[in-house]
Amino acid sequence: MKYNGMGIEEIHKLLKEKKIKPIDLVEEAFKSIEESGLNAYITLNKEEAIKQAKELENKEVDNILFGLPIAVKDNIVTKGLKTTCASHILDNFIPIYNATIVEKIKEKNMIIIGKTNMDEFAMGSSSRTSYFGAPRNPWNKEKICGGSSGGSAATIANRDVLFALGSDTGGSIRQPASYTGIVGMKPTYGRISRYGLVAFASSLDQIGPMTKNVYENAVLLNAITGKDHKDLTSVETNEDFTRMIGEDIKGMKIAVPNFFMSEIVSDEIRNKVKETIKVLESCGAKVDYVDIKYIENAVTLYQIIAMGEASSNLARFDGLRYGHSIEEPKDINDLYYSTRAEGFGDEVKRRIMVGSYLLSGENAKTYYNKALSIRDDIRKEFKNVFKKYDFVIGPTTTTTAYNLDDPMDDPSKSFMDDILVIPVNMAGLPGLNMPIGFDKDHMPIGMQIIGNSFEEAKIYKLASYLEKKLDLNLIPGGEK
Amino acid sequence: MNYIPTIGVEVHLELKTKTKIFSNSTNGYGEMANSLTNVVDLGYPGTLPTLNEEVINIGIKAATILNCKIRKQMHFDRKNYFYPDNPKNYQITQARTPIGYDGYVEIEVNGEKKKVEIEEMHIEEDTCKSAHRGNKTLLDFNRAGVPLLEIVTKPCMSSPEEAKAYLEKLRELMLYGNISDCKIEEGSMRADTNVSIRKKESDPFGTKAEVKNIGSISNVGVAIEKEIERQKKIYDNGETFKPQTRRFDDKLQDTVLMRIKETGNDYRYFPEPDIPFVVLTDEMIENVQKDIPMMPDERRKVYVEKGVSEINTNKLVQNRPLSDYFNELLNENTNFKIASNLLLGDISAYLNKKDIQITDTKLTKEKFLDLIKKYEDNTITSKNLKEILDIIMESDKSIDEIMKENGIENITDDSEIREVIKTIIKNNPDSVNDYKNGHDRAIKFLMGQVMKETKGKANPKLANDILVEELK
Amino acid sequence: MKEKLTREEVLHVADLARIKLTEEEIERFQVQLKQLLDDVEKINEVKGYDDDILIACWENNAELRKDEPGEMLDPKEVLENAPRHSGNYIAVPVVISGGEGA
Repeated sequence: MKYNGMGIEEIHKLLKEKKIKPIDLVEEAFKSIEESGLNAYITLNKEEAIKQAKELENKEVDNILFGLPIAVKDNIVTKGLKTTCASHILDNFIPIYNATIVEKIKEKNMIIIGKTNMDEFAMGSSSRTSYFGAPRNPWNKEKICGGSSGGSAATIANRDVLFALGSDTGGSIRQPASYTGIVGMKPTYGRISRYGLVAFASSLDQIGPMTKNVYENAVLLNAITGKDHKDLTSVETNEDFTRMIGEDIKGMKIAVPNFFMSEIVSDEIRNKVKETIKVLESCGAKVDYVDIKYIENAVTLYQIIAMGEASSNLARFDGLRYGHSIEEPKDINDLYYSTRAEGFGDEVKRRIMVGSYLLSGENAKTYYNKALSIRDDIRKEFKNVFKKYDFVIGPTTTTTAYNLDDPMDDPSKSFMDDILVIPVNMAGLPGLNMPIGFDKDHMPIGMQIIGNSFEEAKIYKLASYLEKKLDLNLIPGGEK
Repeated sequence: MNYIPTIGVEVHLELKTKTKIFSNSTNGYGEMANSLTNVVDLGYPGTLPTLNEEVINIGIKAATILNCKIRKQMHFDRKNYFYPDNPKNYQITQARTPIGYDGYVEIEVNGEKKKVEIEEMHIEEDTCKSAHRGNKTLLDFNRAGVPLLEIVTKPCMSSPEEAKAYLEKLRELMLYGNISDCKIEEGSMRADTNVSIRKKESDPFGTKAEVKNIGSISNVGVAIEKEIERQKKIYDNGETFKPQTRRFDDKLQDTVLMRIKETGNDYRYFPEPDIPFVVLTDEMIENVQKDIPMMPDERRKVYVEKGVSEINTNKLVQNRPLSDYFNELLNENTNFKIASNLLLGDISAYLNKKDIQITDTKLTKEKFLDLIKKYEDNTITSKNLKEILDIIMESDKSIDEIMKENGIENITDDSEIREVIKTIIKNNPDSVNDYKNGHDRAIKFLMGQVMKETKGKANPKLANDILVEELK
Repeated sequence: MKEKLTREEVLHVADLARIKLTEEEIERFQVQLKQLLDDVEKINEVKGYDDDILIACWENNAELRKDEPGEMLDPKEVLENAPRHSGNYIAVPVVISGGEGA
C-alpha cells in the first residue's frame, strides 16, 4: 500500500493515531521518486526532510497538513535549499531567504521533499526547456508532462507525494495538470503572495496547488493564501475553500465559449468535453455556448506582456550579486553579455530579446500599451459573462500530451499550446483543471473550470461534484 | 554674436526617512559597507517592493512647498538599463504619473523677481555606491533603495545667476521643509543642468548639452558659464554639435564630454506591475500640509512686521533652529526686537561656545518671555545677563530665583532709592551746583555715587529719573 | 513580407538584452525572432477595444508601509552568493566609468 496515494483524511487519521509516522511518508516518497525515473525533481531535500520528519515525531499532529510531504516548484525560493529555476544561470544558487509560501507550509509542519523540474524560468509548455532535461509523463514516459510546472504535475500523477506547488503565468499549472490527469488550480491574482516566486511576468504570475483530487487541492489552498505585507498585490483571505464541496449543482449556469470548442481543439477532446457537458446538464446545470470577445487574441497579448515583463525581470541575472558568472571578463559588457549568453537557454534568450524590443522606443506604445488596453477589455468581457453565469468551462488543452522528441524549432509552439488557458491569466481569474477522461492512447484529457474573481470555493464545488460523478481511475498504470 | 541661453535644472534629493523607499532596511549614511541592506535592496530573485508611507508624505510636502499640483492617483514605472550600480538593472521611478507637477519657485536676481517653473517632481530609488580601486569597482548597496525626489524645472532660466539663485532657494526650502539634508558633498543633493543657446527668442531651442555631477552650487554657475562659452564658440565657427552628456571637472573648472546621446534614451519604460495604484485622499494630503513649517519668505515678512530689523530678520531666517524658536513667540505679546537681539547676541554666543542647539537648553518659552520683560524694564542689565546667562540656560530654576541666588537684586523700590539720592545730594553740594550751572557730566558723578552706595543694585534707569527729579 | 530579420536587427535586440550570440545563434534567431515578431504583429488586427489599460489585476490600492526599520543582512550574507568580492564589497572585476545616474 502506498500511503501517498491515500486520501488526506485517511493519512491524517493514521498519523494522528500514531499508526504511521511522517518519516514513513518521507521515505516512501523518496523511494517512489527514485524508482520512477521521471526526472521530476531538480533537487531532492533528502537529508533535511528526513531530519524534519524525525523531529516531528515528538510534536502533536495539530493540523490536517501536519507531516505531509510536499514538492515545491524550483522557481519558489527556499532558504538554504538550491533554487535553480531550471536554469544554468542559477544552477548553484542557494537562496538566503524563504518565499512567504514556504514559511506558510513550514508553519503547518509540511515537509519539503524537493524542488521540481520545470521549463527554464517557467518559459515553455513542455518542461523541455529545463537545463536539467525534461521530466517524463507517468502515463507514458515517452510523452511530455506539459509545462512549465511539469515536474510538480509528474510527481503528483505518480503519487510520490500528496501535494505540489506550481506557478501559472499563462497556464503553467492547468496545462501540465491536464496532460498528467491531476487537479491544478490557478487562484485569483493576488490570492497567494508572490514574495519569493522568481518573477517571470509579474502581472500574470500566480502560485497554485497541484494535487490528485479536488478536496486536497482546496485543503492546500486554505493553507497558502492570504495578505502578505511583503507583496503589495496580495489580498486578504478569510475563508474555507472546502466549504461548498458536496453541495448540489442544480440550476448552476455554465457558459462555454465557442472559441474553446472550435476546430483548434482536437476532435477527441472536444467530444470528451461535450460528453461532460451532457453529464452536467443531466445533473441540472444549464449550459450555454457564448462568445467572449478578444479571448482569441489573448495569446498575442500574452506574448507581448509576458515577454516584455520577462525582459525586465530577468535583467537582474548579470553575474554580479548571485548566480553564474563567467571567468575573467574583459570588461563590464563582457561580464553581462557572456554571462547571460552562457547562463540562459534558447527559449529564454528569444523571449527576453523580443521582450526588450517590444518595450524599446516607440514600440512600448504600439505593442505593450495596446496589449494592456485590450487586456482590460478581456477582463471586462469576462466580468460581463459572470453577471449571467456561475462558471465558464472548456477544454484545458487542444491536444493531449505529445512526444518528448517532437521538434522544438517552432518558437510559437510553446505559446499555442496554452491558447485555452492564457485568457484566465489576462483577466486575473481563478481557473482549475480536472481530468475528465482519456484519449485513445489512454492519455488524460482535462477540462478547465473558470470562476469569477475570488470564487475558488465555487469552482471546487463544481469540480468535486463532477469528479465524484465521473469516478475515473486516475492512477497511471492502474492500481499501485 | 549674441546668444540667448536656455537653462533647465534637475535636482536629486535624498529624503530624510528612517527606511528605504521600497524596503524596510535603514536609510543611513557613512555606515560600514553593505551593512544597511536586505534581499530587496540587493535585487534578489523573487523579492518584491513595498512602499514607504513617509516617502509619499514627504513627496506631498515637497510638492506643496514648490507650489505643485498633487496627483491623486499614481503608479510607478520601471526604467530599464544595465549598470553595475543598478541592482535589478531596472530602477523603479515615476515616469508617467509624477507625484507633483506644474509648480514654481520664486527667485530674485539683481533685485528682479522671477518664477522658476517646476515641470514635475517624482519619487524614485537611489542606486548603490561604487568606488574604483585598482582594476576593480567595489559596490556598496547601503545607498541602494534610498528614497530620492527628482525635481525638474522647465527650460526657463537664462543665466548662470538664475540657476544658482534657483538652487539656493530650492535648498533653503527643502531644508526648511525637512525634506532632505541637502548636503551636496555627501551626495544628498545632486544637481544636473541642461544648457542650450539660440540667437533669438523666436528660434527653436538649440542643441542641448546635459552637465552632470556638479559638486557645489557655485560650480553649477561655472559649469553653465563654461558651457555657454563652449557652445558659442562652436556656433561662431559655423559648426554644430550632437546632444551630449558632459560632466563638470572640479580641477579643470570646466565641462568634459562623457558621451554623445543616442537617438532618444531607450529606457524601455513600462508600468511597474508589482506596485498597485497609490491613491492620495484629501485627508492624507491635508494631514501632511498642516504640519508644513512657515517657509523663509513668509518668516522674513512676518519678522519685519513684528519690528525686527532687516539684518536680524535675515540672520534669524538663516539660522533654522533659532528661527523656529522665535516662531514660537509670534503669538505672544512681547518685544520682538529685544527677543531677536538676545537670540542673535548673547544667546547665540553661548550656543556657539557650547556647540549646542537652543532646544538643548533649559530656556523654555516662558522663561525667555520673562527674560525679555526683565531686560526691557532694566530689571536685568546687559551686564547682569552676561553674569548669569550660563545658569539661565542650564538650570531649571526661574529667572527670579537665579537672580536672587546670584545677588542680582536691582533695587526697584522707589522710596529706597530716593532716600539714598537725597543723602547724596546733601553730601555733594558742589556737584549739585555744577549741575545747576549746566555741567551735565556732574550727573554722571552723582549717579556713580548712587550706584556705589547701592552696590550697583539700583535700577539705573529708575535711579537716573529720580536723581533728575530731586535735582530740580 | 520578408522571411527573416537581418543580422543587424538580431544583434540590436541582443544588445538590448545584453546577450552575446554565436554565429550559429544569429542565423537561427534571424528566423525565429522574425516569427515571434510576426506573431505579436497580430495585435494590430484587433479592433474595437476601449482606451482603458489594465497594468495588472490589482484588487486593492497600494498599502503603505510604516517607516520603521526591519531586519537587515549581515555583510557576510550579502557576499555569500556574490561571485566576486573584496573586503565587505561586492566587486566588479573591471573598472567602470561614468554613470547612468538615477
